[in-house]
Amino acid sequence: MEKRATFSNLWLAAAFIAPQMLLIFTFFYWPTGEALYWAVSLEAPFGGSNEWVGWLNFQTVFSDPKYWDSVRVSLLFALSSTALSLGIAVLLALFVDRRLAGHQVYKFTFFLPYALAAPAVGLAFRFIFSPDAGFVSAVNRIWPGLWNPAFNGNDAFIMIVLAQAWMMVGYNFIFFLAALQSIPRTVSEAGAMDGAGVLRRMWDIQLPLITPTLFFLIVINITDSFVNSFGIVDITTGGGPARATEVMVYKIYFDGFRGKDYSLAAAQSIVLMLLIIALTFIQFRFIERRVHYS
Amino acid sequence: MKRLALLAMAATAFATGASAAERTKFEFWYGLTGDLGEVVANHCKLFNESQDKYEAICTGQGGYDKAEQNTIAAFRAKQHPTVVQIYDAGTVNFMLSGAIYPANKFAKDYNLDIDWSKYFPGIANYYATSKGEMWSFPYNSSTAVLYWNKDAWAKIGKDKAPATWAEFGEDLKALKAAGVDCGFAFDFDSWMNLEQFSAINGIPLATLENGYGGLGAEIAFNKTAFVDHMKDFKAWMDAGYARIQTNQTGKNLIQSFADGTCASTTSSIANHGTVHNTQVAGLNWDVAKLPVIDASKRTNSIVGGASLWVMEGKSKEEYEAAAAFLKYVTAPDTGEKYIAENTGYIPVTTAGFELLKSEGFYNDPKRSGRETAIESLTASDVTPLSRGIRLGNFTSIRAEVRSELEAAFAGQKTVEQAIDAAADRSNQILRRYEQTFKGKTLP
Amino acid sequence: MVERNPILDTFTHALLIISLIALLIPFWIVFVAASHDFHTVNQVPMPLWPGSHFFENISTAWVQGNFSRVMLNSMIVAVGVTGGKILIASLSAFSIVYFNYRLRTLMFWLIFITLMLPLEVRIVPTYAVAADVLRPYREILNLFGLSIGLPEWNMLNSYSGLILPLIATATGTFLYRQFFLTVPDELTEAAKMDGSGPIRFFLEVLLPLSKTNMAALATIMFVWSWNQYLWPLLIITDQAHYATATMQLQKVVPGPVFGDPPIWNIAMASNLIVLTPPVLVTILLQRWFVRGLISTDK
Repeated sequence: MEKRATFSNLWLAAAFIAPQMLLIFTFFYWPTGEALYWAVSLEAPFGGSNEWVGWLNFQTVFSDPKYWDSVRVSLLFALSSTALSLGIAVLLALFVDRRLAGHQVYKFTFFLPYALAAPAVGLAFRFIFSPDAGFVSAVNRIWPGLWNPAFNGNDAFIMIVLAQAWMMVGYNFIFFLAALQSIPRTVSEAGAMDGAGVLRRMWDIQLPLITPTLFFLIVINITDSFVNSFGIVDITTGGGPARATEVMVYKIYFDGFRGKDYSLAAAQSIVLMLLIIALTFIQFRFIERRVHYS
Repeated sequence: MKRLALLAMAATAFATGASAAERTKFEFWYGLTGDLGEVVANHCKLFNESQDKYEAICTGQGGYDKAEQNTIAAFRAKQHPTVVQIYDAGTVNFMLSGAIYPANKFAKDYNLDIDWSKYFPGIANYYATSKGEMWSFPYNSSTAVLYWNKDAWAKIGKDKAPATWAEFGEDLKALKAAGVDCGFAFDFDSWMNLEQFSAINGIPLATLENGYGGLGAEIAFNKTAFVDHMKDFKAWMDAGYARIQTNQTGKNLIQSFADGTCASTTSSIANHGTVHNTQVAGLNWDVAKLPVIDASKRTNSIVGGASLWVMEGKSKEEYEAAAAFLKYVTAPDTGEKYIAENTGYIPVTTAGFELLKSEGFYNDPKRSGRETAIESLTASDVTPLSRGIRLGNFTSIRAEVRSELEAAFAGQKTVEQAIDAAADRSNQILRRYEQTFKGKTLP
Repeated sequence: MVERNPILDTFTHALLIISLIALLIPFWIVFVAASHDFHTVNQVPMPLWPGSHFFENISTAWVQGNFSRVMLNSMIVAVGVTGGKILIASLSAFSIVYFNYRLRTLMFWLIFITLMLPLEVRIVPTYAVAADVLRPYREILNLFGLSIGLPEWNMLNSYSGLILPLIATATGTFLYRQFFLTVPDELTEAAKMDGSGPIRFFLEVLLPLSKTNMAALATIMFVWSWNQYLWPLLIITDQAHYATATMQLQKVVPGPVFGDPPIWNIAMASNLIVLTPPVLVTILLQRWFVRGLISTDK
C-alpha cells in the first residue's frame, strides 16, 4: 500500500514525525530497553546487584508448564473474544445499516460499553456474575452450583470473554457501520436490480467491501485482548481459579510486580511482544494482501 | 492545553505553598483500602492537627501489593516516601533491600524511646531479624480466630466452640444433621490455612526455622499435617458440611458468616468490627481461638497485617518529622487505642493492651471476644516454628498454594498431588530468589 | 434505499432490540445496585428495580472519592491527551503516508510496535523515566563523551506526567494511516498541479476530509485516557491535587486479603460516577461523527 503521489521535502517529513518519535523513544523504547536488559540478568527488586545470566530467564520461562498454560489461555481468550465481538458487531452493523425505523437509536447506544474503564467493567461484571450475590446468582437458586466462576475455571473464562467481548462490540460496530455507509449506494442498488435479496447482497457485496475494516479490527481486537485484558482479569478473577484465566499479560504483571521477579517478567514481556509482532506480521502479509481496498 | 495545565499547576503550587510553609513535610504511603484506608488517612489528619511543626502527607496506594510495588519503583527513581506501610509478605524484600533505615537504629538515632520488650513476642518476632532486632514498627496487627454462630451450635447441644479440628469435624457433621446448611465457610488463603495452622500446631512450613536461618530454606509443608488438614477440608466440602466463599464468589467469608449463611468461619480478628457492622439482626456469635490438632500442645499464633518501615536517603528534617509521626501512631493512646477503636486490629504491646483493658474497652458488648486474639498470640512462648515465616518472594509462594488448592478442590487433582506441586514450584521460586540475592545474607 | 420485507424486518427489529437489551443490562444492574442499601444489594436474587437510596449512595461515594476535584483533573488529562494525540498522530501519519523516504516503513513499524507492549508490563522502567525525563538523553550524551548538563525534569505528580506518556502510543497514527491510504491519489495530484505544497495540502485538503475520523479518534482517545487506572495510581502520590476519577475506584475495589467485604452499593455508585463523563462524551461526540458519516452519504 503506497501512494503514487507523494511529496519529497524530507526536512518537512522529518519535522512532522519528530514529535511522535521523541515521545515513543522517551516513554516506550528507552524503558523497554531497560526491561530487555533485565531479561538477560537477575535484577533485584530494589536495584543494586545485577548479575548477567544469559538465557537463564528464558529457560526458566519455557520449561514452566504453567507458562504454556498462560499462552494457551491467552490464545483462546484472544480468539474467542475477538470472534464473538466481531461476529456480533458485524451482524448488528449490517442490520442497522438497513435503516429501518429506529436505527438511529442503536447507532448511539451500541458504542457505550467501550466508554467504560476496564476496572469499572471488571467491577460490574464481577458483581453481575457473582454466584452468591448480584444478577446471575439467581440461576444458582434454581440449579444450585450451576454457575461458580470462583470455583469452576470454565465459568471464570466465560466471564472474562464476555466482559472483553461486551466492551469491544460497540467499538467494532462503529467501524463496521462507518465502512458499510461508505459503500456507494449505487453498488447495492445495482445488486438489487439484478434481483439479489437483502441477505444475498450482504454476503456478496457488503461483506467483501468491508474486509479492509475487518482486517484493521482483527489486528486491534487481538492486540487489545492480549495487552488490555489486564484490567478485566485483575479485578474479576485475579487469574484464578487454578490459573484458568491467567492470561500472559496478567502472569507478567503478577510475576514482576507482585512477585518482584523483574527478570522473569521481562523475559515473558519479550516473548509476548514477539508473539504479537509475529501475529501482526502474518495479518499484514496474508490478510492485507487479500483485502480489497477501494 | 499545555498552558492550561501549567496554569493549573502554578495555581495549586501557590495554594499549597502558602498555607503550610513552616511545617516540615514528609511522605507516608499506605496500602490499606476501603474503610480501613479511611482510618489510616484520618490517623494522619489527627497527627497533623495534634502539632504544628510537622506535616505527614499520606497517600493510599490502592492495596498492600501496590504499596510495595510503588515504593520499589519510587525508590529506584529516588522518589520514595519516608515511611511506608508494608504487609507481612514484603518483610524479606525490605530486609534485604538496603533501602531501609532499621527501626531499632532509627528509634535510637531520633530518640524515639521505645521499649521493644513491650511488644507481644508473637508480633515482635515476625518483624525482627533472626537476631531479634526489630527493623519495622508494627502498626495494624491481627491474628486468626474462629468465628462461630452460637445459635447453630446450640442446635447440637453445645455452648462451647470446638477446641480441636477433630471435634470441629464432628460438630460439622452434627450441624448438618441438625439442618444447618453450611457449617463452615473457608477459602484458600494461605495465611490462615497454612501459616497460622502450622504455627499454632508447631509444625514447620519450611526448613531452617521457616527461613529465619537463611535464604537456603526449602519447603516442608507437603510433608506435614497440613496435607491431612486440607484433605479434611475437602472431605467436609464433598460431604456438604462446608463451603468455599471468596470475594470472587460475591460473598467472602465474613459476609457469609455475618448474614447467617454459614455457621462458622476462620478469619482475621480485624474483621470483628465488620461482622458487627454488617451482621443480620439477632445473629448470636462469638470468636474463639482456632482449633488445633492436639489441645495440649497449642503454641502461639502469628501476626497478620502490616508494619511501618522507614526508608533511607531522606534529610534529617524529614526524619525528625517522621519520628514524631511514628511516636504518635505507635503510642498506646494515640496509636494503638485509635487503631483498636476504629478497626478490628489489636493492640501490639502489653502497654496498649493494659490501657484498653483499664478503660473497659473489652467490656463493650460489641468488642467482647477481641481479647481472644491476644490469648491466641500469647498462647505459648514463641518457638522457632511459631515466630513467623521468612521466605523470599512469599507473595508468589502464597499464590502457588492458592492456585494448587483451587485445582485440588475443583477435582482436577488430589490434595497430595496439589500440595506437592505447590511445594515443588515454591522451591523453584526460593532458589531463584536465592540466586537473585547471591552474596547477601538475611539479617 | 429501504426495501420492505416483513419477515426480515421483524427479524431485524427483534435482533436489534434483543442486542440492545443485552448491551444495556450491565448498566442497568450497576444503576440498580447503586440505588439500594447494603443489605438489599446482597440479597439473592438481587432486586431488578431501583431502590430509594440512590442519591444517598451517590453522595457518599462522591465525598469518599473527592470527586469534585478529581473530575476536573480527569477532564484536564483527557482533553490534553486527546488534543495531543490528534495533533501528533495526524502529523506522523501524514509524514509516513505522503512522503517518500526510505525510512518510512521502519518509522511506521517503530510506531506500530508500541501497541504491543502495554504499560502494565514495563511500568517500573517507565516510572523511572518519568521521574527524570531527560535521563535517556543524558545517558546517550554521556555515551558520546559529551557532558552537557541537562536539567532534571521530574514528571511525577504533574499533569504532564499524566498526559505525555499516554500520548506516546500508536493508536492514532495507525487510524490516520488507514484513513490517508483511502484518500484518492487524484487529490494529491491535483493539489500538486495547483502548486500547493505539503503543508497547504495537509491543512486545506486532508484535515477537512478527516473531520469525522478526528471526531472518532477524539472520542476513543478521550475515553481511553479517562479510563487509565494503573499509571495515574503509580505516579500520582499527591492525591489531593492530581488524583484522577478512575483512580478512585481503588477505594471501592474489595480489599485483598483481610479487607472489608465488598460494599457493592457504594462501589457501584462510584462506578456510576466514574463512567458518566466518558459515556456522555461518547454519546455527544459519536452523534457528531456518526452524523458526519451520514452526511458524506451518497
